Amino acid sequence: MKWQRWAIPVSGVPVLALLAWGLTRDARTVPSPLPGKPAPGFALQTLAGDSLRLRDLQGQVVLVNFWASWCLACRAEHRVLLDAARRYQHQGLRIVGVVYNDSRDNARAWIAERGGDWPNVLDLGSHTAIQYGLFGVPETFFIGRDGRLVYKQIGPLDNGVVEQWVPRLLAGTPDGMGAPTTAEHVTEGRSPGHVRISPDFPTAGGTVRRQ
Amino acid sequence: MGSRWLVTAALLSLSLAAAPAVAQSPDSGLEAKVRDVAASLRCPVCQNLSIEDSPSQLARDMKQVVRQRLAAGETPDEVRRYFISRYGEWVLTKPRAAGVNLSVWLLPLVALLGGAVVVWTAVRRWVRQGDAARLAAAPGAPALPASAPDALELRARKAILQASLQELESEFAAGRLAARDLAALRQRDEAELATVHEALKRLKKETPETAKPRGEPAAQRSPVGARRLWSARLGWGAGLAAFALVVVLSLRGSLAPRPEGGTITGTQFSSGPPPGDMEPVQQTGPLDSLRITQLEARVRRDSTNVPALIELGHLYLTQGQLQKAVVVDTLAIRLQPDAEGTAEAFAHLGMILWGAGQTEGALKALDKALFLHPNLPEALLYRGIILFAGVRDMPAAAQTLERYVEVAPPDANLGRVKGMLEAARKASSGR
Repeated sequence: MKWQRWAIPVSGVPVLALLAWGLTRDARTVPSPLPGKPAPGFALQTLAGDSLRLRDLQGQVVLVNFWASWCLACRAEHRVLLDAARRYQHQGLRIVGVVYNDSRDNARAWIAERGGDWPNVLDLGSHTAIQYGLFGVPETFFIGRDGRLVYKQIGPLDNGVVEQWVPRLLAGTPDGMGAPTTAEHVTEGRSPGHVRISPDFPTAGGTVRRQ
Repeated sequence: MGSRWLVTAALLSLSLAAAPAVAQSPDSGLEAKVRDVAASLRCPVCQNLSIEDSPSQLARDMKQVVRQRLAAGETPDEVRRYFISRYGEWVLTKPRAAGVNLSVWLLPLVALLGGAVVVWTAVRRWVRQGDAARLAAAPGAPALPASAPDALELRARKAILQASLQELESEFAAGRLAARDLAALRQRDEAELATVHEALKRLKKETPETAKPRGEPAAQRSPVGARRLWSARLGWGAGLAAFALVVVLSLRGSLAPRPEGGTITGTQFSSGPPPGDMEPVQQTGPLDSLRITQLEARVRRDSTNVPALIELGHLYLTQGQLQKAVVVDTLAIRLQPDAEGTAEAFAHLGMILWGAGQTEGALKALDKALFLHPNLPEALLYRGIILFAGVRDMPAAAQTLERYVEVAPPDANLGRVKGMLEAARKASSGR
């Protein structure tokens, strides 16, 4: 009889423990399989009508930025990109905009209005977006000189993130080269309307923390 | 001429939009596979919808990728692995049954078994206690031997002694027992009761489980006790069966396949514009279905009944039956291309075209509607939405939405429209 008296509360313990553990987790945090892997290649048409291949940029530090003219958060982010271009393009940073789920005319008008001299490509059918595991715009991928994806930013970029990554990638330090051990998981917010700065971007001299 | 072009465009874009739903005969095997795989992949921009169920653009694009990969000869598992390599295991609607994930499958089973054990032991205990009490209380119960006492016998003896003590009190109260006799008898019974208590306590310590061996032959029980036991078992069984029935019945509704053309989110357009850009679609109820049947009968009798056709178009649209809506609306337009009443039919086509991604055609249809009926609320609303969200012509969007707010029906939900209007005004003054 005695064991029965204890059975119910005791069997509740693991359930409660599981619940407690679950409550400490952020339901919006999703481990991404991409950082550390070679960046998926693409060959797409630019807004100007030329074709652009990611492979042609091999050996350079590339920032692939997915955006759309209908995306409000992309407007605020555009200033950050303009800043990054101004400061780092002459050092060899390449920015590539990927226009997601939008028309050429809208994208052209948007760029004409807001500036930016980097190439923007049209991703009709969203094949490239899916290759990059896109959840929503804006999303930005940092690619090192070795062609590996190093970091994935969901939601708008800010200067802090750019400063964390770009100088190191340009200098080509091992930390920034994105060896698979440095960045296996990156926090992602998953709804496009939900803007969220990853809490896990690297601290100075460190790497992306594992979760 | 213009209307014929419009009709062709509408039908063409609809057939394109509906292509995945209406499986083409040679590819129906492929389409079934596509649906299977799509149902197992989670839409990244939705809350808990598969890409099969989601009307969002990204989900449609992902489904197209599924189709291409399957058509290229990949197995469903290979296609799933591809998406996992892009989005992580998160992308699976059903986590793989391995590792920690296994607990999702096993824990409910464990809980169910544990619950069954608890119920079983509890029922057994209650039934046994009931038996003991009855045995003791039954008239002419056999005197229990003092030797080799077990819990059942002791408890029975205890009950008898307690009853006897009570009886002594009432006998004394009734004046049939002398005070001296009462004291002596009481002392005797209480002494025995104390030893029984003692024995029971000892027994409990020695055997914490049950006192009586299982599998006690039924013949030893009184027939009354056996009957009670069985009726208790039957009662519990019936209760459990009734509970299971209720669970199964309530689950049946939610597990039933969706009706043709229905979506997981209910009455939404199956290929409508993004939900954020739309007024909530009217709830459709049984009244609507009744009205549709009525109107269909009326149209069958007289296929030139334009008002009936247009009302049918409206109802079909709210129910997401886009093909039928196109048929009746185009029929109405063909019958009275330039009547004010036909404006609504043009507005319907405009909405459907916009849903199918034909922004230009949609605007043309809505302009025609507004030409025929300058203050048609639906036409103004949808033109405003398209100008705002599709064409991004903010001054024009603001103008159209302003007009809509003026003529909107009193029961319209204007909150979202006003938000849009404000954003459009701000954007056009900012330029």
